[in-house]
Amino acid sequence: MSSELIGVWIGAFLTLGIFSFLYKDNPFYKFSEALFVGVSAGYWFVVTFWQYFLPKLIDNLVLAYTVLTSQGRVDYHWVYLLGGGLGVLMLLRLFPTVGWLSRWSLAFIVGTTAGLQFTRYLESNGIKQVQGTILPLIVGGSLNTTVGNIVIVVGTFCGLIYFFFSKEHKGAFGGAARVGVWFLMITFGALFGYTVMSRMSLLIGRMDYLFQIWLGLY
Amino acid sequence: MDQGHQEEEKSFWEKLLSIDRRIIFLFITVAVAVPLFFRLSLHIAVTPVAEGVYQAVQSLPAGSKVLVSFDYDPGSMPELQPMAEAFFRQAFRNDLKVIIMGLWPQGPLQANMALEEVFKDKDIAAKNLKYGVDYVNLGYTAGNEVVIDRMGHSFEESYPKDAYGTPIGEIPLMRGVRNYDNIDLIFNLSAGYPGTQEWVQYGVDVFHVKLAAGNTAVQAPSMYPYVQTGQLSGVLGGMKGGAEYETLLGIPGRAVRYMFSQAVSHAVICLFIIIGNLAYFSLRRRRKSQMEVQG
Amino acid sequence: MQKKSHRCSRVVLAVFLLLLLLLLSVGVPNAQQEETTAVPEDTSAQAPAPPTNVKAYDTPNDNGHSITVTWTLSADDGAGRKNVVSYEVLRSASPDGEFELRGMAPAGENIFEDKGAKEKSDANYFPPHKDFYYKVRARSDGRYSESTVSAPAFAYGQWYHKGKTPVVVAVLLFSTFCLVFITVARKGKKLYIRPLAGIEAVDEAIGRATEMGKPILYILGLGSADMIATIASFIILGRVAKKTAEYQTPILIPCNDPIVMAVAQETVRAAYLEAGRPDHYKEENIFYLTSMQFAYVAGVNGIMLREKPATNFYLGKFYAESLLLAETGSLAGSIQISGTDEIAQIPFFVAATDYTLIGEELYAASAYLGREPVLLGTLKGQDWGKAAVMIALLLGALAATFHFQFFLNLFTVKL
Repeated sequence: MSSELIGVWIGAFLTLGIFSFLYKDNPFYKFSEALFVGVSAGYWFVVTFWQYFLPKLIDNLVLAYTVLTSQGRVDYHWVYLLGGGLGVLMLLRLFPTVGWLSRWSLAFIVGTTAGLQFTRYLESNGIKQVQGTILPLIVGGSLNTTVGNIVIVVGTFCGLIYFFFSKEHKGAFGGAARVGVWFLMITFGALFGYTVMSRMSLLIGRMDYLFQIWLGLY
Repeated sequence: MDQGHQEEEKSFWEKLLSIDRRIIFLFITVAVAVPLFFRLSLHIAVTPVAEGVYQAVQSLPAGSKVLVSFDYDPGSMPELQPMAEAFFRQAFRNDLKVIIMGLWPQGPLQANMALEEVFKDKDIAAKNLKYGVDYVNLGYTAGNEVVIDRMGHSFEESYPKDAYGTPIGEIPLMRGVRNYDNIDLIFNLSAGYPGTQEWVQYGVDVFHVKLAAGNTAVQAPSMYPYVQTGQLSGVLGGMKGGAEYETLLGIPGRAVRYMFSQAVSHAVICLFIIIGNLAYFSLRRRRKSQMEVQG
Repeated sequence: MQKKSHRCSRVVLAVFLLLLLLLLSVGVPNAQQEETTAVPEDTSAQAPAPPTNVKAYDTPNDNGHSITVTWTLSADDGAGRKNVVSYEVLRSASPDGEFELRGMAPAGENIFEDKGAKEKSDANYFPPHKDFYYKVRARSDGRYSESTVSAPAFAYGQWYHKGKTPVVVAVLLFSTFCLVFITVARKGKKLYIRPLAGIEAVDEAIGRATEMGKPILYILGLGSADMIATIASFIILGRVAKKTAEYQTPILIPCNDPIVMAVAQETVRAAYLEAGRPDHYKEENIFYLTSMQFAYVAGVNGIMLREKPATNFYLGKFYAESLLLAETGSLAGSIQISGTDEIAQIPFFVAATDYTLIGEELYAASAYLGREPVLLGTLKGQDWGKAAVMIALLLGALAATFHFQFFLNLFTVKL
């Protein structure tokens, strides 16, 4: 029996174990769930060591040390000491007396990400989208485009009004907010449909695995 | 209307609304499973967004370099793997050079699985494609969007070696590939974060690369605004997007085959939604009229 | 107080006008040199007419390792027996020196960017501040003719990318709004936030759990600690934890990320301290489960079915697991309050949970509950930013309808 065949059977057993939850909670589901949780935790530990810790920290520091000893110059890879230091500070959480030092690492992570993402989101998701929403409300010779443009502009405008928190939704403002809610709900319905399609696709994939790869029925 | 009839009608709608969900699961299981046994091909209508992806690849002259980022794991295989295989088929048939990378750890492994499938095709096998000359797998590197940003300056800083430990300077395909200036198209297969949005924000809007994407159906609608503004050349959405891509290529594969199952399951879900809404509104009307009678 | 708010308005208006002026000052880079008429070199009867007016200038908005070359198309481009198929761009360090081929452009195109590497060690290194001379060849069926040599041009880097001016304006505008309102909030002025349905249900949901003697399950989502949705969730967690401390209701917080777990522990500990019940804080109730998405869901579902919490909070960044969580919670009979900025998951929360904070309402909820000046100020700043966008949309739509290109150009981000 080849290892691939054993893998297929294990995969089928675990698939059916998780599916059994649809009937009710049972030991097979509990076993499959516990195994999945445990294996995934172990997998991420291994990935973290071999893909993060080793190549991003150790290899870079070794390179910097090699350059220092062989060429006598200070290489920029020493900057990874800073990252390593912040990582050690995070680990100090395990010691209550010095655990507060981990806040420095957290502050660094939060601050760096905010700075990195601020202009990116503003340009790609803000200004470019405003640019794309500035559309002519009347397009001569094309009723489809005219209606489409009006829907986009009105929908965006009213959606923004719904998310305006400084004014209560009353009167004309409330009316526009209500239109915004309708646009949102129609959008959510479309998203819901798309996501249901995604779920069905995953189920189809699993069924195909069981019928074709495991049982070889077709 | 007499009391007995009211009692019967009430219990019928209430029964429908409180039906054991396991019965619904059974209906869905049958709706998904049974069509798989029938090799029925449905007509696949191709959307302009999918056409955009196809044309973005098709318009490249032979020898162009395409960077493919595999940003998904086995959990999204049914939706994205058919797209990956279709892309490789199109790329190799058009004699494009393919550089594979991943921002998810399992991504490059998914690429190898797709390559294994595609190399079984006779016409592609006949091309005798060589690793390092026609395609290369740079593997996974940690850093998410920072990797995308870094590659805009230097590929070597993010990927000093390929997935097998070979320094990229020694790989023929990577000679002369310094950064995105030497790449003609980026194709991203994405199931979440990091993914297409990060490629748009850090790749397209900073280094003005040309980008096409394949996404799971969950996040495909979020990418349409990027297509509208031209930040994305096109996007393939879910398994349907994969089926459209296969149709455009003229090579119907798994995605097209699964569409019958998809269609039947959707029809069953629509039926349940209609029944559920009829039951809900009927009950609501009954309760309202009862309250009016009591009032 | 009225004087202060007048001053604030004036500051904001002044900044807005300044930024508008800055936006309007975006100009077009000047070409460095002019060019003269061309003379064909190949006098063969088959050679196409040469391109003319070759201009070379520093490529604008770059790091100084590129020169752009433009020319007037050959008269034989797209017509006649001598149809041009391509253009070749050649470069030399002196007008009489040897010219090397730098690249090609197809017929019909009259622009080429001569780019190189910035590293000196690279074979294609492009030195800045060095004069280069260009000429362009029109090629057709093996024959060609060349333009005269252009005037010299050198590449240099620009400190500021003029094409990104709309981004600069937006950043400064938004930052100004936020800073002004944070200042106002810190001075004690009450900033109005409209009531949100989901927030009002929080106290009711905690009370229900206390009455039933069952725990509260709080899910922070699958985001990392630096994500905005997770940060907003931490703030709401602080408020919820304070209530659970007062009512002595157990709160369970299974985490997907170790750093998130660390911050959650800090938040809950601080909340219990504030409520005067530090001894009731149980660190083991806030634990790390796994970082793998569906393994995490499987674990949380197990907790829901075994512990049967009375109330579930799903606040943060959620992906495909959202409906799995909400559905299982519904099965367990819990009251559920959700909130996420992940658009694709909101429909599932709307369908399967009792109250949903849609998108930005999650951030507003954290400001509303936390009442911290920074949160309130940034929320107000966001609102003013939205108002600016709405005005821009309306004006822009009108400008586009009546073809006022000038206004449309204000929003165009050039790469």
